Amino acid sequence: MSDRQKFLQIRREAAFTGLALLALILFWLVAGFGTAGLDIKVMHLPLWAVLGSIGVWGAAILLTFLLTKFVFKDMSFDDGGDRR
Amino acid sequence: MSGNLSALLPLLIFMGVMVAISIFVRRQAEGSSFMQHYFVGNRSLGGFVLAMTTVATYSSVSSFVGGPGMAFKIGFGWIYMAVVQVTAIFLVLGIFGKRVALLARKLNAVTVVDIIRARFQSDLLAAIAAFVIVLFFCGTMTAQFVGGAKLFSAVTGYSYEAGLILFGLVVVIYTTIGGFRAVAITDTCCAIMMMVGIVLLLYYVLDAGGGYVAIMQSIETNRPEMLEPFSFGNMPWTIYFTQWLLVGICTIALPQSVVRGISYKDTRGLHHAMMIGTVVVGFMNIGINFTGILAHGVLPLDAEAYGGVDNVIPTAIVTAMPPSLVGLAIIGPLAASISTISGLLIVASSAIVKDIYVHWKERNRQTVDTRQLRLLSMASTAAIGVIVFVIALTPPSLIWLINMFAFGGLETAFFWTLLLGLFWKRANRAGALLSTVGGTIVYCSTQAAGFKIFDLHQITIGISCSLILFLIGTYLGRPSDEETLNKFF
Repeated sequence: MSDRQKFLQIRREAAFTGLALLALILFWLVAGFGTAGLDIKVMHLPLWAVLGSIGVWGAAILLTFLLTKFVFKDMSFDDGGDRR
Repeated sequence: MSGNLSALLPLLIFMGVMVAISIFVRRQAEGSSFMQHYFVGNRSLGGFVLAMTTVATYSSVSSFVGGPGMAFKIGFGWIYMAVVQVTAIFLVLGIFGKRVALLARKLNAVTVVDIIRARFQSDLLAAIAAFVIVLFFCGTMTAQFVGGAKLFSAVTGYSYEAGLILFGLVVVIYTTIGGFRAVAITDTCCAIMMMVGIVLLLYYVLDAGGGYVAIMQSIETNRPEMLEPFSFGNMPWTIYFTQWLLVGICTIALPQSVVRGISYKDTRGLHHAMMIGTVVVGFMNIGINFTGILAHGVLPLDAEAYGGVDNVIPTAIVTAMPPSLVGLAIIGPLAASISTISGLLIVASSAIVKDIYVHWKERNRQTVDTRQLRLLSMASTAAIGVIVFVIALTPPSLIWLINMFAFGGLETAFFWTLLLGLFWKRANRAGALLSTVGGTIVYCSTQAAGFKIFDLHQITIGISCSLILFLIGTYLGRPSDEETLNKFF
């Protein structure tokens, strides 16, 4: 991989990481505030508290897994030669 | 000076292990480049250690004492807010991890300031960045020293000063001796002990409180506000919003986190670290704050009755745990404190030695021999540690606020400079200078004046002004030269 290709790949990974953040923020909003009005209990906890804590944590783990599995690529840090 | 000796013994052993690790690491490093070893651990960290050191440096004593104390007071809304921290590790490693690793090798950079200097070709900006790092790190370290020593005193019965001397001096010593690699390995031990401490405390709080169901039924009956996201007005939306910025999104720019991108071995390790770090940071955040809520099972009164939110966890430890295990439980929060101190100490030292002194020497075409560099680096690490230690001997009040103030200051100074500087070709010196200096001044001024907009934390003003100034400087200033752009893009 040339330096230029590495940079483009790194920029792509950073952009997808940003998208993962946006997805997590949306999930966080829906999981917590979005379900706060529901009278559902899970293990003596309101549903919003479960989804807004363990649910968000699980979503973050899932998103990180997807990022590292499908978006991030292994690359060498050795000099990749002239990019041009 | 009298206290619980059995509570002291595990802590003494733990501290002894920390010093032994640093001596071992120091001996292993003989023969390698001192600067590379001392400030970035020879870029040899594996995924597990990278994850643990990033999490441990990020998680401070506030996460283990003030945070769960607030959860005790507010309820599940606090966990809902705190869980935004699960983004901290995958964001910083995902966005900056490879970028700074690649650049550091290309530029032979050892610090984040090295990269900033090379990107914007500005010694002035580098000096300001180093100054900002040292200044705000000293604030954060003071908060860690004070928080740790207060916790030590409350749980063991020994004096505040004894706690400060015991764990404060030990952390300065082992960081001084072993440098970054020792910090990373001891951080890993600290992170493991934090998790052990959480599990132990959770178990005994549940046990002493009559079990999970009994505690939850009691909360539902007596404290219904704890089961509502806004906690009947105690948890306004402004806190949620600013915490997303302060302890979530903007943490990617914390120099102590970004520098970890320079220190790992390969991208495989980085990917592992993102996963492990996200699992661990979530476990810690949810675990300790949930424990704070369940502490109602052993502490039936309001937080104020126990001396405020900072005393909830220490009181819960003493009340719920058998005396023989108190010493083990206290290692967790103290580990959070010392791992943050050591992580900051080594970066602050590198800012003084590498970013200012060595660069100044090189500019004047003078060389610094390895022996001199070693002495200087160790002296600098020790001196910063001792200065902060002395400040902590007469503890300033409002340590929680000092910690958050420093967090916000670092984020304001570095967020746009790093993010736009490393990913936007158009970003230039004028923009970075205006953003770093102007944003920090605006942030500190609004903090000093207590000025807020819509009751939001001043990070919102600081980070907005910082962006505006960056854009103004970028569009009015000269573009970066072609040679620099070729190196970076």
